[in-house]
Amino acid sequence: MQVFIQTVVNGLTTGCLYALIALGYTMVYGVLKLLNFAHGDVYAVGAYIGYVVLQIFGGSTALTIPVPLLLVFMFVAAAGGCGFLGVAMERFAYRPLRNAPRIAPLITALGISFVLENTILLLFGGFTRSYNTNAYISSSNGINIGDLHIDTVQILIFVLTAVMCLGLKLTVDRTTLGKSMRAVASDREAAEMLGIDVDRTIALTFFIGSALAGVAGVMTGLAINQITNTMGFLAGLKAFTAAVVGGIGSIPGAMIGGIFIGLCESFSASYISSQYSDLIVFGILIATMLIRPQGIFGQRPLQKV
Amino acid sequence: MKGRIIIAAMTLAAIFVAGCGSSSSSTTASSSTTASSGTSNTKCTASIAIEGPFTGPVAQVGLEQLHFAQLAVANDNAADHTNVTLAQDDTQLTPSIATTKTQAIIASPAVAVVGPSGSQEVEAVGPLLARAGLAAVSGSATLPALASSGANKTFFRVVPDDDVQGPQDANYVVNHLKPKAVLIVDDDEAYSQGITKVMIPILTKAGIKVDHQTYNGTDTGATLSSALSSLVTAHLTPNVTVAILPWQAAANAQQFGLDAQQQHKKVILFGTDGTNSPSQFHIPGTYISTFGPDISSSTNPMDKAIVAGVAKYGPYGAFGVPTYAATDVVMKAIASVCKAGQTPSRSNVLAAIKTTNIPAAANVLGEPIAFTATGNLAGSPGYLFHVNSAGKYIEIPPK
Repeated sequence: MQVFIQTVVNGLTTGCLYALIALGYTMVYGVLKLLNFAHGDVYAVGAYIGYVVLQIFGGSTALTIPVPLLLVFMFVAAAGGCGFLGVAMERFAYRPLRNAPRIAPLITALGISFVLENTILLLFGGFTRSYNTNAYISSSNGINIGDLHIDTVQILIFVLTAVMCLGLKLTVDRTTLGKSMRAVASDREAAEMLGIDVDRTIALTFFIGSALAGVAGVMTGLAINQITNTMGFLAGLKAFTAAVVGGIGSIPGAMIGGIFIGLCESFSASYISSQYSDLIVFGILIATMLIRPQGIFGQRPLQKV
Repeated sequence: MKGRIIIAAMTLAAIFVAGCGSSSSSTTASSSTTASSGTSNTKCTASIAIEGPFTGPVAQVGLEQLHFAQLAVANDNAADHTNVTLAQDDTQLTPSIATTKTQAIIASPAVAVVGPSGSQEVEAVGPLLARAGLAAVSGSATLPALASSGANKTFFRVVPDDDVQGPQDANYVVNHLKPKAVLIVDDDEAYSQGITKVMIPILTKAGIKVDHQTYNGTDTGATLSSALSSLVTAHLTPNVTVAILPWQAAANAQQFGLDAQQQHKKVILFGTDGTNSPSQFHIPGTYISTFGPDISSSTNPMDKAIVAGVAKYGPYGAFGVPTYAATDVVMKAIASVCKAGQTPSRSNVLAAIKTTNIPAAANVLGEPIAFTATGNLAGSPGYLFHVNSAGKYIEIPPK
């Protein structure tokens, strides 16, 4: 039972990360019908921005500011940096191709992915960089119930993910920006005719999605300590799977899909073998496409006659 | 029109960034040539290549190897009045990339190769090198089959293979750590699976219950987090007091140890040579076996000069020491060819490497270097370190 509960905790931790990345995929798909395959690398950029902030404030063993303040700076810098990166990507790479055949922005997204990956390589070198989280956040702190342990970083991930998902849901449901996003997602041309600034709405969508990925990058650095320039590739694919399973274009779908994929991965690693976790995750993707292509929360497109 | 200009500018920027990434950084270069630092003006000119992971999750140890190779080329060029240049080929420890790089090396004028680093890479490219008559001397590929299979006829190594290291490690666990049950996790690569295969029968024969698991050593980020924490959760049961991690990514072993600490699992970690990286893997109480000595605090003048010299290229790391010896073998072979009045070629350098006979006093590893007919090192011990409470590696003297 203890193993089961700890596996759930591990799965939720990973699932939260996938959920945050998946939100970016699903939001961008919602407004542009674009699979932004560079999104995983935006997540990696976020991890590196967090690392840079850590170094600016003295590094893991000689911090010059209190840890809570450091975390705030890391998350804000990563969210802001990645948000603006997302806006720049949209402005200079995707917007000029908005009316091009759909394969063009897709290939561009792959190209941007490689550019981001190699830019990190150029700036930070090829070897693993370490957050060395244990030096400033004790792993023994947290919640202990018997052998079950939920450490401070995991609690931080759960709370922050919940807050951001809730905030995003409220933004989409109850604000003018959210209404604009839904209108653009529903029918871009009609939204434009109604006076909605489509370019601005799409740019803000990229900003929010990329900011969430940046926060997930910092969370990963804190949770796993090590970051590499290639870390975004597989995480991006898993998050994409999560978005598809949840129903691409659906925000609750991305959240639930992320958690579901995280739990699947964790349970397969604990009870079968981590060797097979990728097989299981991508098997789920194929099964979803065959059985329910619109995903858990997705809706079948209306047949107009 | 304006849009097209922006796209064109973006494309140019992308090409510029990609170009920078592959030309200005020594760590990402493909067959980029490092100018020799020898002062020679003789006609003994040749080029060699080093194949190793200079980027990616195990770049830390690959760069250590590169820096020691660069130092060896510079030192031997100066000592033997040769003019040898070293090309760098980043394999990322991936067989498919190593294959591409090896094909480029075969097409180049290189007369010998230092490396490849990983056993899985040698498995992939050994036959190619053999067909090209190109000698490859590795300072870290330890899978026994690389020499015994007969497929890699031009492969040599300056380190003992897993048939030496595996039993030493397993016997140490049996005789000194005396666990009732162990967890042994391979990273799904040839090196890791090879050493696991050697260790398990010895542990089982001693009556130890062995839980053998596999994880994907190339995982990163959230996926890696999930894999490691699940291994700790599900397989570090109270009976398991030793976890053997024959991995090639030291940072992953460190994370496994941290996860164990976080989940309050009391376990002694036992890493093998791929995890030999004091800066990345330093959980107190850990044992780490390796194929080369740590010369960082040696009082031997040659060792001191090498430790001081490598600082010019990058930080010292014990994993790179055998690669100095491997490069030295190649450089000495080229020098001997020149001394015999010949121009270095693949065939005469290969022949010279086969007859290598470097005495212990002239070898940074402290052991004589000579090769068996299959390219194995003729008789050499493994080394074992214990990580003390301050995270420092302390060598355990052989008994």
